[in-house]
Amino acid sequence: MGRGTKSRLFVAFVLVGAIAGGVFIQAAFAQETTGATGATGQDDDEKVVFTWGSAGETSSLNPMSGYLALDFYFWTSQYHLLINWAQKDFSAEPSLATDVEVSDDSMTFTYTIRDDLTWSDGVPLTAEDVAYTLNLYKNNSAYLPSVYLSQIDGDVVATDPTHVTFNTANPTSLYSGKVPYLYDYILPKHIFEEVEKGNCPDDSEHCTPKGFDNVPSVGSGPFYIEEAQPGEFVRMVRNPYWEGPEPHIDEIVYRQFRNNDALVEALKAGEIDFAYDLTSPNLFNSLKDEPNIGTVAAQVPLFDYFNMNTGSAYGPETGDFKRHGDGHPALTDPVVRKAIRMAIDSQTLVDKVWLGYGTPGTTVIPPVSAAGARWAPTGDDLIAWDIDGANQLLDDAGYLDTDGDGVREMPADSIDPGRPLEFRYFVRSNDQTTIDAAPFIQKWLRDIGIQTDVEAVTSTRLGDIENAGEFDLAHWGWFPDIDPDTALSWFTCDSRPPDGQTYDNDDSYYCNPEYDQMYAEQQAELDIDKRWDIVHQMQQILYEDSPYVILWYSPLLEAWRTDTFTGYKQQPEENGDPLENYGGISEVWLSLRPVSEGSGAAAQTRGIPAGVWIALGVAVVAVVAFVILRRRRVGEEDV
Amino acid sequence: MRGYLIGKIAQAFLTLLFVLVFNFFLFRVMPGDPAAILLRGSAAFNPESLAAVREDLGLDQPLPEQFVTYLGDALTFNWGDSFFQSGQPVSEVISGTIWPTILLVGTATLASAAIGLLIGIYGGWKRGSRFDIGSLSFTLFVWAMPEFWFGILVLMAFSGGVGPFPAIFPSGGYETAASDLTGLSHVVDVLNHMVLPFFVLTVAYLGEYALIMRNSLLDVVGDDFIQTARAKGVREKQILWRHAVPNALLPTMTVVFLSIGFIFSGAITIEYVFSWPGLGWLTVQAIEHKDYPLLQALFLVFSVAVIVANLIADILYTYLDPRVRAA
Repeated sequence: MGRGTKSRLFVAFVLVGAIAGGVFIQAAFAQETTGATGATGQDDDEKVVFTWGSAGETSSLNPMSGYLALDFYFWTSQYHLLINWAQKDFSAEPSLATDVEVSDDSMTFTYTIRDDLTWSDGVPLTAEDVAYTLNLYKNNSAYLPSVYLSQIDGDVVATDPTHVTFNTANPTSLYSGKVPYLYDYILPKHIFEEVEKGNCPDDSEHCTPKGFDNVPSVGSGPFYIEEAQPGEFVRMVRNPYWEGPEPHIDEIVYRQFRNNDALVEALKAGEIDFAYDLTSPNLFNSLKDEPNIGTVAAQVPLFDYFNMNTGSAYGPETGDFKRHGDGHPALTDPVVRKAIRMAIDSQTLVDKVWLGYGTPGTTVIPPVSAAGARWAPTGDDLIAWDIDGANQLLDDAGYLDTDGDGVREMPADSIDPGRPLEFRYFVRSNDQTTIDAAPFIQKWLRDIGIQTDVEAVTSTRLGDIENAGEFDLAHWGWFPDIDPDTALSWFTCDSRPPDGQTYDNDDSYYCNPEYDQMYAEQQAELDIDKRWDIVHQMQQILYEDSPYVILWYSPLLEAWRTDTFTGYKQQPEENGDPLENYGGISEVWLSLRPVSEGSGAAAQTRGIPAGVWIALGVAVVAVVAFVILRRRRVGEEDV
Repeated sequence: MRGYLIGKIAQAFLTLLFVLVFNFFLFRVMPGDPAAILLRGSAAFNPESLAAVREDLGLDQPLPEQFVTYLGDALTFNWGDSFFQSGQPVSEVISGTIWPTILLVGTATLASAAIGLLIGIYGGWKRGSRFDIGSLSFTLFVWAMPEFWFGILVLMAFSGGVGPFPAIFPSGGYETAASDLTGLSHVVDVLNHMVLPFFVLTVAYLGEYALIMRNSLLDVVGDDFIQTARAKGVREKQILWRHAVPNALLPTMTVVFLSIGFIFSGAITIEYVFSWPGLGWLTVQAIEHKDYPLLQALFLVFSVAVIVANLIADILYTYLDPRVRAA
């Protein structure tokens, strides 16, 4: 036999041996691991784990500093709100507070706190926790929670273990318990008090109420956070002291993906039970015909808008505001803005950009909002898509195309006569829908004699640009609260970015003293119906004046496996988010249960079994050893 | 010789110092306010919260004071707290991601270098042969193709399962989420998660080494000493491995060591496609959120890695190439 044949035989022998060995080891391993529950060992046959995922990253699991919609899912199962949002229709329902007493002058509020809850470390929950938490939020400017406490004057006081009381600077109905306004999760005083002193449970160095990562957490709800790997997963387990309805799941695991394609693959393969916020209507459509997959284009209070710089350089200089930037003067004219509104067809955008998901936009208060708050324009109030009408409006107002180049110029008696209507139009590079919508809007505006120059920038950069007032048109989005107060506050004169460097919410630079007056009135109005009347009028003013054109109310695209879990609770009932994002405590975590025996088991580990890996490793080592030995032998004969 | 080494080390040290200072100003020069980035679009976006965030982040200090704080912290390895990762210490954020990065990108770099070099060597040696033409086309193709596109295809094929392709591997991540695997099970779990991104990275990068090695070898093959060796009667295999390759290897070594230096920078698009926790994606997030402390630390890590890798390359050259020693 030649040396070549011998070496080939040797290699073949090694490979066969490795494969045979692998098969034997694999068989041995297979006997060890139990059936459907994979390699996690222990008594996993009984553990029911609900796994969900998204391509989003949490900002913080601590209510003091978290601000993304995603963060809330980790609070809705572990913390209580004083007044909860009903799952069916967002109406107010008692939660931690069983009763609210309002003084005659509507400036003193007393909440009765239930006494039957225990924190997950065994400490009873009392009114002290409530008072402490609200003061903590307020005095530390907690990013989101402090917004709803701005009307409170002084500290919140626990007068006894079941009552808290506080005063407001002005009469208001916001804390009456009739609207779910106080969006503040109640935290355990005994934990956060220690955190304030620098003693964090996890011994971390930067132990501050806002910096504390709240893992493991202590909650009053059916679950609490036991473990979290930032950027990878969050795991929640059962609160042993929970005495409410018994959940049917033992653990909630959130898995973070970096992109939606992987998320969809994971759902199809059964690695996760629920996929949140798919963002791409194409991916969503690809799931609609998959077996055992349910889908919903849920309605949430989320909208995209076309922002117009109504006067960063021309607006009234009230408060801290100083004129800055270089927005086009034509946009200070509500007639021009109305014409632009008339030129944009919201329905087409929904059909083309979102493939039919979502709803066309009209007013600033979305369809999903506090019952009675929204004013939806109908009949004569409705400003429909009307290119001819828009052209007529601009003609009548004197914006004519005097030089025949297809672009109108400003009238002779305007601030800047003869200036062509050419606008800078910004879209955001990290939001594909803004890029997709641009060609449509650009064309419609050209049809009414307006030239636009589209530029894609990052959200970060656009924030700077809007702030500096150096834009004319921009496409962005807001996620307003259920109570309309927050959204309406974005149009007050004091909310305008004041000086080109400092940020603020009124990115359209809208300033209308009549509107501001009404804003203060609705905040103080004690009669709910009268309040909604004012709120309706404010929406109508904004609709007519059009600082924003609401392009669409965005859908929340979600999908889940129908063969693992059931018991989702859509909020609102007709077409809402099955995971009930607005709650403290959300009912969904109590109603989710496996479809059948064993269908709720933990996700299996996937891949090649250990035995095969060992076999491969042995084979690789053998081949490498063989090659080295062979070369050494041959090398001796070298010249 | 010793003088050469000391000179190189001193050079590396000075470069490092320059990077340290430059690092600080580079990020402060970027326009934009991290506080606003954090809160924009949420109900928390109001002047009070913004001022609170700015104070929390130490941005209300004047620039010279921030610089002094930065220098002091850098020299004591205190990198401060991340803005976006809700105040987690930067050192924790990075140390949590550094091992998966080295594991994936390190092994892929070595594998792609080894395979690429071999392809380049054989292609260059048998120039014009079917292997050479085939491998040249192949390497050019994989070098030119977008790796994230290839990654998504591989993900769909081997994780989702399309047509004849079996759905074997996990859809992403470093390990099975929230599982309590230890020992061998954990190792196997990580290996299973690593297969697809490792494969994609290796294929995507081997083109670079193959092409450079091939060209290098072609240059060397025409030299006089190769003729001499042939004339002496040395066998072809010996000429290739004992004479041609060691000389052709030098330029490729530079590339290999630079690549080793860049291991720490991660592989952004692969981390994105396979949800692999790596420094590349972390950097993208940090830039997007203007997370100064994290960015400063990351860029320092990358710079140190490249500087050190270069230093090692310089030192190794003195052993690999006697001509450098003599100079």
